[in-house]
Amino acid sequence: MSNIAGKAYAMNVITPIRWYMTWINKLIFWIALKTPSTLKGLITLSLIHYARWVIIGRKQFPHLDKHQPKEDLHYAYMLFFSNFNGSWAQYVDSFTFAIPAGLDLFWKWNVRYPKSVPLTSFHSYIQFNQIQTDHYYNAYPMATANDIKSAKKVKAALLDFDTRYAAAKPEEFQKQYNKLLRELQHDLGTMQPLPIVSLADQAKGD
Amino acid sequence: MSKQLDLLDIQGNVVRAYGRYNFPFARYVFLNIRDAKRGRAFVGAVTEEVTTGVRWDDGPNPIKKPPSTVNIGFAYQGLKELEVPRASLIGFPMEFVMGMKKRKDILGDDGPSAPQHWDPIWRDNRETDRHKDVHIWISINGQSHLDVQRRYEWLQQLVHHSAGGVAILTGHRGDNNTEHLPFQDVHAVFENGKPTSKEHFGYTDGIGDPVFEGLPGKPERVVGRGKQMRDGKWSPLATGEFILGHRDEADEYPTAPSPQLLSRNGTFMVYRKLHENVGSFNALLDRAGASFPGGRELLAAKFVGRWRDNGAPLVSAPDAKSKAEWDEKFAQANQAERDRMLSGFTYDDDMQGAKCPFSSHMRRINPRASLESTPGAFNTPGALANRRRVIRRGLPYGEVKDTTRDDGNHGIVIMMLNASIQRQFEFVQQQWINYGNDFNASNDKEIILGNHCPMQQSKAVIEADPDSDAPPFFLTNIPRLVETRGGDYFFIPSMTALRMIAQGIVDPT
Amino acid sequence: MGNKNGKAYALTCLSPIRQGHIDGVAYCDEVRHRLQHWGLLEDSPMAKVPQTYLCRYFVLNDVYYESLAGPDIFSTMYEILSFFSDRFRTAALPREDHLKSKYLVFSCNLHGDLDTYLRGMWDAISEDIQRIWCFCYGFDKVKDADSFVAYMKKCQLDAALFFVGSNDDPLPEQLKALYLKQEFSHFAAEHQGLPPAELQRAYRAFMQRVQPLNLASPTWKPGQSSLPSLEERREQAA
Repeated sequence: MSNIAGKAYAMNVITPIRWYMTWINKLIFWIALKTPSTLKGLITLSLIHYARWVIIGRKQFPHLDKHQPKEDLHYAYMLFFSNFNGSWAQYVDSFTFAIPAGLDLFWKWNVRYPKSVPLTSFHSYIQFNQIQTDHYYNAYPMATANDIKSAKKVKAALLDFDTRYAAAKPEEFQKQYNKLLRELQHDLGTMQPLPIVSLADQAKGD
Repeated sequence: MSKQLDLLDIQGNVVRAYGRYNFPFARYVFLNIRDAKRGRAFVGAVTEEVTTGVRWDDGPNPIKKPPSTVNIGFAYQGLKELEVPRASLIGFPMEFVMGMKKRKDILGDDGPSAPQHWDPIWRDNRETDRHKDVHIWISINGQSHLDVQRRYEWLQQLVHHSAGGVAILTGHRGDNNTEHLPFQDVHAVFENGKPTSKEHFGYTDGIGDPVFEGLPGKPERVVGRGKQMRDGKWSPLATGEFILGHRDEADEYPTAPSPQLLSRNGTFMVYRKLHENVGSFNALLDRAGASFPGGRELLAAKFVGRWRDNGAPLVSAPDAKSKAEWDEKFAQANQAERDRMLSGFTYDDDMQGAKCPFSSHMRRINPRASLESTPGAFNTPGALANRRRVIRRGLPYGEVKDTTRDDGNHGIVIMMLNASIQRQFEFVQQQWINYGNDFNASNDKEIILGNHCPMQQSKAVIEADPDSDAPPFFLTNIPRLVETRGGDYFFIPSMTALRMIAQGIVDPT
Repeated sequence: MGNKNGKAYALTCLSPIRQGHIDGVAYCDEVRHRLQHWGLLEDSPMAKVPQTYLCRYFVLNDVYYESLAGPDIFSTMYEILSFFSDRFRTAALPREDHLKSKYLVFSCNLHGDLDTYLRGMWDAISEDIQRIWCFCYGFDKVKDADSFVAYMKKCQLDAALFFVGSNDDPLPEQLKALYLKQEFSHFAAEHQGLPPAELQRAYRAFMQRVQPLNLASPTWKPGQSSLPSLEERREQAA
C-alpha cells in the first residue's frame, strides 16, 4: 500500500549513468523543456500529477559532517520520481505504447537500459530499479491529474459566468447557463474514492 | 505480409464466431475431475471431436461443416487435477491462477454482482468442497436444438465411460427459478421463427470483432476492426494479442507457460454470465427518455453507441434524420458494403462525443483512436486502445416474459478471448467500464455495464454538440443494468496441447 | 532553475543517516519504521504542512548493481576488442557501486517559495520532523525554523527536469476548485430541465452555499479521502 495514496502512485527509480554521459541527459532535459512539442505525448497521456528527474554526480551526494564517510562511486545516478494515476502496469504500458521514442530519449544514456519496446524487458528494468516508498502523502487522493485540471477550468468558468449572468433575465440566464454546461461537459464527472489499484489489495482474496 | 495460422491446431471458437455461421444454439457444460488418469482419458476422447479453426468445405480433403461443434477449456484447478507438471503451472499468469471470483474487487463484482448471488455452480466453485470446483469447460454449438441435444448425449456417454473419473457439475439457474441445471443453455433471440442478433435490452449485438494477422476472412473486414494507422488506413492487429506463441503489439511473444507446446496456439478465455435487469432498463429509458431531446430511441442509442434496431453506429447516424438516410443506404447495400457501414468508422469526427457519448458502451470498450486527444501526440493513433481489445463470443440466454420486471431468467453469456486477461479484459473492466478517468469523466461509469450503486447516484453525461444551443443531458440515478451471475477464467489450449495434456506428457524440462 | 515550473517547486533532499542503532535497530531501519507508521491520507503529518501537493519519503539503502542484460553504448566496441583479450569482455560488465551511508530521501512537490514552505513545515510539525531526521548527520544543529531551512538546503539536490502535469496553483485554490467541481456536477445533474426562473433561483442559492471565493470554507481538506454520504449532502443542501 505504501506506494499508493488514493488515486496516485509514487514511483521511485534509481539508475546508474556514466559520469561523463550526464551532460547529454541534462541537455536533452533542457531541450525538452524549451520545446513543448517534445512533451506533447506526455501531456496528452494526462496521467501524471508531477514528475522529476534528478541527476546526482559521483561526488554530489550531500556531505554534511566530517564524520560522514565520503562516497566513492564509479557512476553518477539518475533519480526518477513520478506521481501518476492508474496502476503501475497501466502507467508503464501507456508510455511504451504511446511514446516509446520519447522514453528512450530520456533513459537510453543509463547503463544497460533495454529500450522501451519490447515490453517485458522494460517492465523488468523498471521493477528492478524501483525503490518502495515508505510514506506517501497526497493532498487530494480522490482527484486525478485530469480532475485537477478540470476543477480549475470549472472554477474559472463558474466565476466568469457568475459575474456576467447571475443577475440576467431568466431566459438569458438559462441560455448562458446551457452554454456554460456545454463548455464544461467534459469537466463534470463525479469523483469517488475508487478504484483499487494496489496489487496487495487485489490479492486479498487469496 | 500475410501470415498463415495453423488453423488445424487452433480451436475453432477462437477464430470463428459460430453464432454467425448458423449455430444459434449452444450449451455450456462444466465438469469436475475426480481421478487424474481417467480424467485425462476423458479429455483425450473429447479432443478427438474438438472443432478446429479449419475452413469447412474447403480445399482438398475438405472437412464438412458439422451439425454441432465442440470446444474445451480448463480452469487452473483443472490443469492441476490433470497433473500438468508444477513447473508448467507456475508459468500461468497470476489472475488465471486466482480465478475470476477472487478478482471481484478489481472487476467491480460487488453488491448484486457479488459471488454470494451467483448461480450455485459458481458460488460453490473454489470454496471448500473440491468436488464442486469447476475444472473443465465444454461448449457445444448446434445448428438446431436437436443437434445440441445429440452432441450432449455423446458427451454424457463419455462421462459415463470415465467411470467416475469426471462428473458434470450442476447448479446453473434456469427458467422458473430452477437452480440445479447441469448446463447453461444459450440461444439467439428469435423473432418470427428466425434467429436475430438481438439481446434482451433490444440491441443488435455481435457486430465487430478484432481482425488480427492470420485470421481467416475477407481482408476488407480490417476496416474498423483492426488498428487505425496514421495515414488513415487500417491494419490487422498483431496475432499475439489474441493467440499465444505469436508476436504481439509490443514486439514480443506474450507471457505464457512452459513448454512452448503447451501454450502455443492457445489463448485465455473469460466466461461471464450477465443477468440483464430488463425492468430497470425500460424504466430508465421511460424516465429519462421522456425529457431527453431526440426521444427515447435516440437515448437508447446513446447508451450503447448504436441504434437498437439495426446497429447503425451513432457516429454515422447521430440523429433521426441521418438514421433514416443511413437505413436507406443500408437496405440497398451489398454484404460487404453493409459490413463496412456497421464497423468501418472512427471517432475522428466526434472528438467531443456529441454523436457517440464518452460513456456509451461502444466508446468505453473500444475507444479506437479517440484517446489521442492531441493529434500526432502518440506513436500511432490507437496506441492506448490497440492492446485492450478482446474477441467476444457468446449468446443470450433465457427469455423476457415481462418487460417491467428484473427477476426473470434473461441475460447473456459472454466469453472473451485474449492473450492477457489482466491487460485486456480486466483493464477494460476496471479502468474503462467501472471508472472514467481516461475519458475525462472522473468516476462516471459506462452506462450499460458499469457497476452503478444507488448510494452514489451514478450519472453519465450525454454530450451536446458544441455548436448547438443545447446543454449536455445528464443521465441520472442510473440503476445497475447488468449483474454478474458467475464465471471464471479458462485456458483454451491448442490441439497439440490438448493431446499432450490428455496423454500426460507435458514436460517443461 | 530546474526546480521551478511556474509557481510549483520540486524539492529533493537526501539526508545522510548516521551509523548506529537504537535498541538494536539500525538508525536507518528505525527511520523507515517510523515513516511506515505515520498516519495516512488526511492523518498524515504532511496534511498539516501548507502548500504540499504530493510528497514522499523513503530510505535509500544502497544503489543497485545493474545485472539485468541490456544494450550499452560501448557494447560493440567491447565486443570487437574482446577478440584480442578477454579482459574487454569483463570490462564491459557493469561496475559494482555501494553507498557508504544510507540516505533519507524526501521528494516534495509544493507551491511557492522554498523558504516559506520549509518554515511552514517546521511550524506545523517540528516534532514529527525531529523524530524522522534525528538520526541524520548534522541534524543535531537544527533547533528552529531558520536552522531547519539551512539544513534542508544543504541536503537539497536540483532537478534536471520538473514536469507539471496538473497545475501550479496554491493548494487551497486547487482544493476549493475540486470542491466546486464536485458540487457543481451534482447541481447541474440535479437541476436539469427546470424552468428559467426556478433554475436561476436554485443557482443563486447554490452559489451562496458553496461560496466560490471563500478559500477557507466550504472546501476539501488536505488529504481528504472520503465524501459526504447521500444524507449528509441532502442536509447540506437544505
